[in-house]
Amino acid sequence: MSSNSMSDPRRQNKILRYKPPSSDSNPAMEDPTPDYMNLLGMIFSMCGLMLKLKWCAWIAVYCSFISFANSRSSEDTKQMMSSFMLSISAVVMSYLQNPQPMSPPW
Amino acid sequence: MSWVQDWTAHSQYLVMRLVLTLPTLLLLLVVPASCGRYDDFDDGEDLAEFDDNDFAEFEDMSEDRALEEEEEEEDSTPSPRPTASVGDEEDDEAVVELEDSHDDFEDAETPDEDIKYDTEEFEGFEKSNPSSKDPINILTVPAHLQNSWESYYMEILMVTGLLAYIMNYIIGKNKNHRLAQAWFNSHRELLESNFALVGDDGTSMEAVSTGKLNQENEHIYNLWCSGRVCCEGMLIQLKFLKRQDLLNVLARMMRPACDQVQIKVTLNDEDMDTFVFAVGNRKAMARLQKEMQDLSEFCSDKPKSGAKYGLPEFLAILSEMGEVSDGMMDSKMVHYLINHADKIESIHYSDQFSGPKLMQEEGQPLKLPETKKTLLFTFNVPGMGNTSPKDMDTLLPLMNMVIYSIDKVKKFRLNREGKLKADKNRARVEENFLKQTHAQRQEAAQTRREEKKRAEKERIMNEEDPERQRRLEEAAQRREQKKLEKKQMKMKQIKVKAM
Repeated sequence: MSSNSMSDPRRQNKILRYKPPSSDSNPAMEDPTPDYMNLLGMIFSMCGLMLKLKWCAWIAVYCSFISFANSRSSEDTKQMMSSFMLSISAVVMSYLQNPQPMSPPW
Repeated sequence: MSWVQDWTAHSQYLVMRLVLTLPTLLLLLVVPASCGRYDDFDDGEDLAEFDDNDFAEFEDMSEDRALEEEEEEEDSTPSPRPTASVGDEEDDEAVVELEDSHDDFEDAETPDEDIKYDTEEFEGFEKSNPSSKDPINILTVPAHLQNSWESYYMEILMVTGLLAYIMNYIIGKNKNHRLAQAWFNSHRELLESNFALVGDDGTSMEAVSTGKLNQENEHIYNLWCSGRVCCEGMLIQLKFLKRQDLLNVLARMMRPACDQVQIKVTLNDEDMDTFVFAVGNRKAMARLQKEMQDLSEFCSDKPKSGAKYGLPEFLAILSEMGEVSDGMMDSKMVHYLINHADKIESIHYSDQFSGPKLMQEEGQPLKLPETKKTLLFTFNVPGMGNTSPKDMDTLLPLMNMVIYSIDKVKKFRLNREGKLKADKNRARVEENFLKQTHAQRQEAAQTRREEKKRAEKERIMNEEDPERQRRLEEAAQRREQKKLEKKQMKMKQIKVKAM
């Protein structure tokens, strides 16, 4: 395991600090899922609010949950929270305006 | 549109409510009125004794009942009141007649009143009768006014789905965390005996081992080790499956995948000789050859089988030259490869590593991408997704292999021939690159020159002082002249040389 017989391969003087590779790395290599899901969630919640479609609002809630699950730790929690709150408000507003339950498409 | 339907249903509901309440209101109004009329006859009179004939209300029930009854029996037809007129007729015929006529008149009136009263009494009932002839519409109460949760079953389904997602998130996150911890616990000793710095997130002031994995994501964990002979540092990435995302879990049921451990060892310039080499399973080799910049440039041959060295059939080798393969595939390495062939995805040694090929956007990049001497290892965790923490121990020999490779690469040196070939290869690649970008670089240089000229001209124009302007212009002109002369000289020299 060691390069020289019996000697310790560790070298204190050769320590290099960790540099997060994100500055160099290709942004295309990173997983685009959380960004897409964030965008989709916002679009669906806007649709749900404007057009008073309950199923849009529910899908928006799901999208924001998926985006949260896939998010990188370096990402802003504020954006996550804002998309989450927007989708919840879309659901609540749809039900306040029209308390009837959703009808299935079949 | 469902919202239109909702609106129309709602409005219909309101209209029906109004329609139903109208008759009830009318009924309510009519009942007190009719009760009032009944009150007129209540004083000492029996309601049940009202007859339909015209004399009914004028019959003196209390005094002359027997007389009346007799009279009535005799007179079936409506005739003037019989009561006291018997005695009167003898005395005052005229009076009686008058009375009779008066009675007639009165009687003439009373039938009408009677009828009027009768009709008024039963006014509400008559009116309500026609409505009973209409078909009865039984309306369904809108679902949100019913006191049952059953109509909300779609919402309950949605909420259940959300709860399932959250449960899966928690379970998946914990499983990934446990797997990472198990891996680290089994490898900790080996790493700590080989590296001075184990675990660093780059944020602390001093280079102190954190001794912990760096969690980048719910499914990616990093570990940076440094402080060893022969290498600059080693970055280990535990890339687990996205167990915390339910969609991914469902997708994986269609397409199985496995957790991966990626190790990237960066080396100093003196630690490695110049060669490019890769070994791994066939699919991975084919993919890497297309994707990686250095493999596509230096290892242009198709992946070769490693049967010559005794490797199993599904492992293939990409190498710059035969000597490199011979040098790398020594007995110990082959031993490792054979024993753990199922866990090895790819092993890639390169002194020209610059990452995957960049997608060309506008044109090719003007500079050669920066290269770094690197060793890359990608291992598959056994279990194909259903791994348990115990499986992490089976990766320990692979880490031994990594350490062994680092030392080996440091010792490996190409012989003279190999070195010449390697240098030639690198020069060739560089030349190709320069040729490809030549046109672009020329253009870039041209534009830069133009920009400089324009900037100078502008400066001259903007000078307010006419004197300075003149002087600057003259200086620029002189410079241009000099350049022209130089060019001419060069042309002359070339001509002379050609001759």
